[in-house]
Amino acid sequence: MALSLTVNGDRLASTADPATPLVDILREELHLTGAKPVCREGFCGACMVLIDGKPTPSCLTPAALADGCEIQTVEGLATHGQLNRIQAALDASDAVQCGMCFPGMVVSLTHLLTTRPDATREDIRAALTGNICRCTGYERIIDATLLALATK
Amino acid sequence: MSDVSATMDLRRRDAADKLRGRTRYTADRYLPGMLHAAVLRASVPSGRIVRLDTSRAARMPGVRAIVTDADAPGMMGIGIADHPLFARDLIHYDGEPLAAIAATTLAQAQAALAAIEVEIEPLPAALTMADALAPDAPLVHPNWRDYEVLFEGGAREGNVAWEATVVRGDVDAAFARPDVEIVESSFRVGRQNHVALEPRAVVASYEDGRFHIETSTQAPWGIRNATARLLGVPASQVRVTVPPVGGGFGLKFDLGVEPFAALLARASGRPVRLVNSREEEMLTCLFRENADIRIRSAVTREGEIVGREAVVLMDCGAYGGEQIFLTTMTAHTLGGNYRLGSVRLVSRAVYTNTTPNGAFRCCNGVYNTFALERHTDEIAARIGMDPLLFRRRNVLGDKDLGATGQVFQADVLGPMLDRMDTLRDAATMPPGRSDGRLYGRATTVGTWFVFVGPSAATVNMNADGTATLVTSGVEIGSGSMMQALPQIVASTLGIAPESVIVRAADTDAAGYDVGVGGGRTTVSLGAASLSAAQEVRTKLLKVASDMIEAAPEDLVMREGRIEIAGAPGSGRTVTEVATRAQALGGPISGTGAFTGAGVPAMPGCVAGHFIDAIDIPVFAVHDCEVAVDPETGHVEVLNYRVVQDVGRALNPRAIHGQIQGGVVQGLGYALHEEATIGSNGRVCQTGFETYRVPLALDVVPVEISLYEGAPSMGPLGTKGAGEVPILNVGAAVACAVANATGKRVQELPLTPPRVLELLLDRKRDLDLPHIAETWSDNLVRPHKTPQGNA
Repeated sequence: MALSLTVNGDRLASTADPATPLVDILREELHLTGAKPVCREGFCGACMVLIDGKPTPSCLTPAALADGCEIQTVEGLATHGQLNRIQAALDASDAVQCGMCFPGMVVSLTHLLTTRPDATREDIRAALTGNICRCTGYERIIDATLLALATK
Repeated sequence: MSDVSATMDLRRRDAADKLRGRTRYTADRYLPGMLHAAVLRASVPSGRIVRLDTSRAARMPGVRAIVTDADAPGMMGIGIADHPLFARDLIHYDGEPLAAIAATTLAQAQAALAAIEVEIEPLPAALTMADALAPDAPLVHPNWRDYEVLFEGGAREGNVAWEATVVRGDVDAAFARPDVEIVESSFRVGRQNHVALEPRAVVASYEDGRFHIETSTQAPWGIRNATARLLGVPASQVRVTVPPVGGGFGLKFDLGVEPFAALLARASGRPVRLVNSREEEMLTCLFRENADIRIRSAVTREGEIVGREAVVLMDCGAYGGEQIFLTTMTAHTLGGNYRLGSVRLVSRAVYTNTTPNGAFRCCNGVYNTFALERHTDEIAARIGMDPLLFRRRNVLGDKDLGATGQVFQADVLGPMLDRMDTLRDAATMPPGRSDGRLYGRATTVGTWFVFVGPSAATVNMNADGTATLVTSGVEIGSGSMMQALPQIVASTLGIAPESVIVRAADTDAAGYDVGVGGGRTTVSLGAASLSAAQEVRTKLLKVASDMIEAAPEDLVMREGRIEIAGAPGSGRTVTEVATRAQALGGPISGTGAFTGAGVPAMPGCVAGHFIDAIDIPVFAVHDCEVAVDPETGHVEVLNYRVVQDVGRALNPRAIHGQIQGGVVQGLGYALHEEATIGSNGRVCQTGFETYRVPLALDVVPVEISLYEGAPSMGPLGTKGAGEVPILNVGAAVACAVANATGKRVQELPLTPPRVLELLLDRKRDLDLPHIAETWSDNLVRPHKTPQGNA
């Protein structure tokens, strides 16, 4: 039976094995390569997507569990070509280096911005526990998040 | 020769797509008809291949090609060509490639690997440097004498892959002086994994009789040449192009997975993608090497270092690789920082039956700086001098001699220490501390260098007023290709940096380049780009001079115009002049080239070195404060400060980003990152559960001061700024923990169990029996130089 996935608003069918990790369907079938399968163990957060609005590592999510859900990938977060609030703040802060972790960072922080408008520096640090960055040393990502929170 | 400053606060042009998830790294590439590849790896550390039969695997579903050692006849290496692509008769390490398969799907390729029939007769293994240096040690390379020598000068014997020595002055006499204290310290460090988030990845095709390799590398020309060597084809048959690279840190300076995919593409006639799994990256990542170090110094009561000797053992793993080259660095790192009356150093790259080590940001420097700075504190304690005062009296200054006898220019470290005092004094005093933790602080210094070497650049002036910069430079994340290079070209031509198009690396389009690493991008590629842009400028000014009827020397290039100096709005736009030039004599372009100047060492001082003296020294002063929990052994870094010698900062904000990131990588190394080898010869840490990298909750904001103005032969006075921030982090944390606990810190990382052992006095003093008591007994060949003196 085909899986029915709604990805960034598009309804798509997949004949993949229902146990296939969602990240592989996104990348190999739909060519949405924003989500990165960096560790495939749920530690690094680079494959984070929003499933019904909730940040979820797509490497540990069997595609069948996302069947019928609204999936938002990093590609779906910029609307009308405009960077969203956290993307714009990260850009303005010169936070990006190699960039591999940023799709996951952007997904996690987009969720934080909508759910925790009063987040403090320490809250942001704690919220990033599931997102590994090897280049930046995190501080500029945290600064950018505070900037985005202050930009209403 | 420019009218506009090259210092800018330019944002990265690649950031928006990286933030949208649109950037296609190599691991994201997908070509029509593309096959997927997987590599079969040995599961013993040492053995003889009795049988390797791929006939059953070849009949498995979806399999399009299988390649083995027979397909890759060559050997590669740095200094010594000791490394085949696939294990050749002998297995040298657990994880060594045996065969590679391309199939329609990755699952099919992996299933076919399991159908390859392998029979291996196990052989004795040397898993540690102590094993490998034992008198009756099994030889990791029984036929080491037969290997092609690519670079002359290093002593070799048995499991000693390479030995480099420095001797300057009469060390024996210094140690025999009656007025000196002899201070001896021993250290050991483990391996560090780069954990580049994009694993090593490649997509290869075979077109018109040539290989096209799209790969995640720092060194496209290195990949071109090494792949050709292994495959036994002319290097001109290999084209390497490089998409955006998802992190390098040295991992991608050496060859990785490229030749497997190239061979499979040729065999199958289809494009082939090969991406290492995280587990493969954890097990075979060309780690920062583990090292064992002993330093002895003869120091007067007044604090003068009259003699120093050291033995540095560097584990190269199963093949010599980068470690052979890196034996050179001990002279400039452990032999750096301080004035030495006399000195002798030996660095030995030692073969073991373990996964090969490689290059990692500030290779060799990170642990030698840890060792040197802890040793320095032990000296200061012995003679009863304040450690900061001891450093101030001894740091290298103007006209001082380095370990290899090179003459340093200008006082740099001294003023940097003053700058650190100012930073520290300006900080607000912490609140009262009564939580039972132990507090300590330390200031450390470090010496690094810019790895200069050849680079080429072409600038094509377009008739629309833009310029295209063509180099073999790679954007690995540091931003040099996105910021420093276009800034240099833009300032020379007086155009906006956004008008400088930066061509991604392609060995068919740009000339030779050593690679992105060693802090050399802004310096070497920058110098070549500057020179190419200056040629374009000269040509444009000549055409403009006729158009404006003014002498070229009276013209300036700024804000997209060529005008008479002092008369804004006069003259023509760059677009008009470029269009005119194209119509008159054809499109304008310029080329540039650069390499190091070759600063001399003292004759007779060095043997077996690839770099005798450093062209561009880079200094760093770090300061940190820690709190140690006596109950758990947990170390918290409370604050961290960096004064970094950058020559000139072209984009200060970008450099600050490099420093924050580099310090945090160093904190991982100092406190919890360590890859260890099990008794089966395999790396124990297979993923992020067992290999802990710093997380957002672990880090502190680094307070940064960029020290500008030290002399540099880099373009516009620059030095590399991206590599050095990790240099003294292990040193600063170790010295601070030693100060907090009053215990002798001899090993990194300072994990809670290790710190608890120190606190409970359960840690025995580090014993390194495989380092001989007498310095010269550690050498396979007495120190001898090509000149024959010393």
